[in-house]
Amino acid sequence: MLFLVAAGLQLVFGVQKILNLACGSFYALGAYAGVSAVTWALGHGLPAPLFVVALLAGGLALAVIGPPLERLLRTIDGRDESFQLLLTFALVLMLEDVIRFVWGPAPVQLRGAYLVYGQVTVAGSTVPVYNLFVIAAGGVIALGMGLLLTRTRFGRIVRATAENREVAAALGVDMRRVYRRVFTLGVALGTVGGALVIPATAAVSEMAIEVIVDAFAVVVIGGLGSMRGAFAGALIVGVLKAGAIATWPEVEMLAIYVVVIGVLVLRPAGLFAGATP
Amino acid sequence: MTLLEAVDIRMFYGSVCALDGVTLRIGRGEFVSIIGPNGAGKTTLVNVLTGLLAPTSGTVRFKGEDVGGVGPVRLARLGMARAFQLVNVFPALTVGETIAVAVLARLGRGARLFAALAGERRVWDEVRSVAELFGLGDTLARPARTLPQGDKKLLDVASAFALHPEVILLDEPTSGVSTADKHAIMEVLVQAAARLGIHSIIQVEHDMDIVFGYSDRIVALHQGRVLADGRPAELQANDAVMATVVGRAHA
Amino acid sequence: MIARVAGAAAMLALLLAPVLASPYQLTLLLPAFAYAIALLGLNLLFGTTGLLSFGHALFVALGAYTAAWLTTRAGVLALEAIVLAAAALAAVIALPVGLLCVRYVKISFGMLTLAFGMLFYSFLYKFYLVTGGDEGIRVLRPRLLGQTFAGLDKVGFLTGPFYYYALALLVLAALVMRRIVRSPFGLSLRAIRENPDKAAFVGVSVRRYRFYAFMIAAVFGAVGGALLAVPTGLADPQLAYWTHSGNLVFMLLLGGFHHFLGPVVGAVVFIFLQDAVMSLTAYWRFVFGALLAVVVIFFPGGLLGLLARERPA
Repeated sequence: MLFLVAAGLQLVFGVQKILNLACGSFYALGAYAGVSAVTWALGHGLPAPLFVVALLAGGLALAVIGPPLERLLRTIDGRDESFQLLLTFALVLMLEDVIRFVWGPAPVQLRGAYLVYGQVTVAGSTVPVYNLFVIAAGGVIALGMGLLLTRTRFGRIVRATAENREVAAALGVDMRRVYRRVFTLGVALGTVGGALVIPATAAVSEMAIEVIVDAFAVVVIGGLGSMRGAFAGALIVGVLKAGAIATWPEVEMLAIYVVVIGVLVLRPAGLFAGATP
Repeated sequence: MTLLEAVDIRMFYGSVCALDGVTLRIGRGEFVSIIGPNGAGKTTLVNVLTGLLAPTSGTVRFKGEDVGGVGPVRLARLGMARAFQLVNVFPALTVGETIAVAVLARLGRGARLFAALAGERRVWDEVRSVAELFGLGDTLARPARTLPQGDKKLLDVASAFALHPEVILLDEPTSGVSTADKHAIMEVLVQAAARLGIHSIIQVEHDMDIVFGYSDRIVALHQGRVLADGRPAELQANDAVMATVVGRAHA
Repeated sequence: MIARVAGAAAMLALLLAPVLASPYQLTLLLPAFAYAIALLGLNLLFGTTGLLSFGHALFVALGAYTAAWLTTRAGVLALEAIVLAAAALAAVIALPVGLLCVRYVKISFGMLTLAFGMLFYSFLYKFYLVTGGDEGIRVLRPRLLGQTFAGLDKVGFLTGPFYYYALALLVLAALVMRRIVRSPFGLSLRAIRENPDKAAFVGVSVRRYRFYAFMIAAVFGAVGGALLAVPTGLADPQLAYWTHSGNLVFMLLLGGFHHFLGPVVGAVVFIFLQDAVMSLTAYWRFVFGALLAVVVIFFPGGLLGLLARERPA
């Protein structure tokens, strides 16, 4: 699900040229919200197999924090990008405590929901159906994003803005609206990603700052601002992680950063630079 | 004697041809103006001459050394400086500091870690004399961003001159300056060049009064080629060139 | 003039602090001094050269681990030797890292430094035998100028001899940095910050100078880290985590990166404020996040920028 976070990061960076450190926090928020939504819905008689709906709803509902946060970031639009980076770091700190305040410091998880759909045997190993569902959902969202960006009016506007914001503004595009929507979409990608992944793991307040590092690795490997790159980068990081854990656990993270640095040094624009933003 | 020489320069941006076989030799002591309508390739040529861009093909030699694409730092060492079309200063540095950066770089003292800047007598003496040549002697302690536009332009040029280059390239030294000030700036420039021992000046300029008033030689570019290359009087006599280059430049 | 009087008063207060202040306040000042040294280096990069590093914690951690490793594993207790070793090690590590990082500016520079910081973090975290894994390595009480101060308990040692040692090191570091900032090199760095293209055209080797600045910053970071490890008594991987780098930048911004002493003010204020806020609420991160946002949006000049009118360092 790293892809969703990374995709959100990409989208916002590509269009607004802001590197959003807080996207990991959105992911964490989405995870917590997902837990709450499901618990609430099951408590109100939602049949267990439909818990995914509640999960998604929880994730999506959180996207409402997008517009106000975007407004906050816009106050320093045009100043040095270092400051924008720092402001998103401020958001990371604040959101971490918001989570702690609302959900408490202990890890939160959804017991049981994970295996509601049972397990299947794929290529000799047992896999919970839910995992397959998440993978499928990732694919669907990736496809949806691709269609949104290439086939719709909104997508064209977004891509034009990413190319050249002055020209787009001169053509009468309302920058503020585009920014607000793009940022919110980025938030939503993060929160939905967090919500989807939560049945398989537990929500802890540190997940925000951990996932951002992975997302960051994905983005760098895939190339900043490239949607296809985000997908490929997520795959690479995922495979790398799994492979390293299976063979030599000590080097799991190490391997990722070595690849990240290698990519930054050899192909600073990323492996998929120039692809559709 | 040829100081700077560009032979058969071709420059492509993708499939767009910006320079199409330009050959140009600039001798010691010449004041050469490069003119031409917008899009003729003037700025590209200057970028190639100053080592900022490596040409797609062809060679650029400065004092016999191949300098194609070597970058500005190396060229500054060799003795070629450049001032820009748009005002290009260090906004927060004072006038004195701006010139000092160049003087220090020329003397190879820019990397001195523990020397006190204030104690560099020779540097400050030189900064003062350069500033005075450009009429900036009274503004040494002012941050560059507080200067009026014309003075910023002069400061930009002054810091380039402080490198004591043998050749200086000026990209529209008088653009953005009122007509009344243009001649004043050019006078200051030419005199400062003579005082500092700068042998050759190459400038890109649109204002034909300035071009014909100061140049020893004029090179007219059109669509990436050299259309004409000669003394001002020769060019003025060539109606075809005047119509193509000057006519459009004024349009 | 006023600044000078205020500076002298502050210095006097710091000298007399062991007599006037409580041991608790003194133990807060110690990490503040250590951070101040590290931040002096960071500010050479950010304030003077215009490069925002999100991986400065790497060098702080490196210094702390040097102190830990030397005192517990190698039996080297002389703090002078530890500080020098930390500085030397930082220079060795910063050489390849710096050469790669200074090829980029702005966001890319920040990302690459962040990646290197995290690389070091995962090294510390995973290579248990060398680094003690997530538990880190303890730091033993060092000898200061050959003295062990065996008669003093831990607090007595830290708030007495070590306090003055740290203060002296900070003053020394500040004097060295002041010299660097006011040297021809410092001027060249500021020219690079203001306008790298123009700097190159007047003959400044932009990349080389940025690299020098990176090296110096790394050395200051490691010296600060070594000093930080003594009062903490522990070097652990969190020191290298990217949020720690973020905090370092926060401190710098709080103090004011336009000013030479901004790092010192930022470190001291940050540490005391953190202590105060943490004792009031468990949600100190929220308060600090909000504070950082306010500083970034409304007072990018930091505290010293508020006191004096903007005067670039």
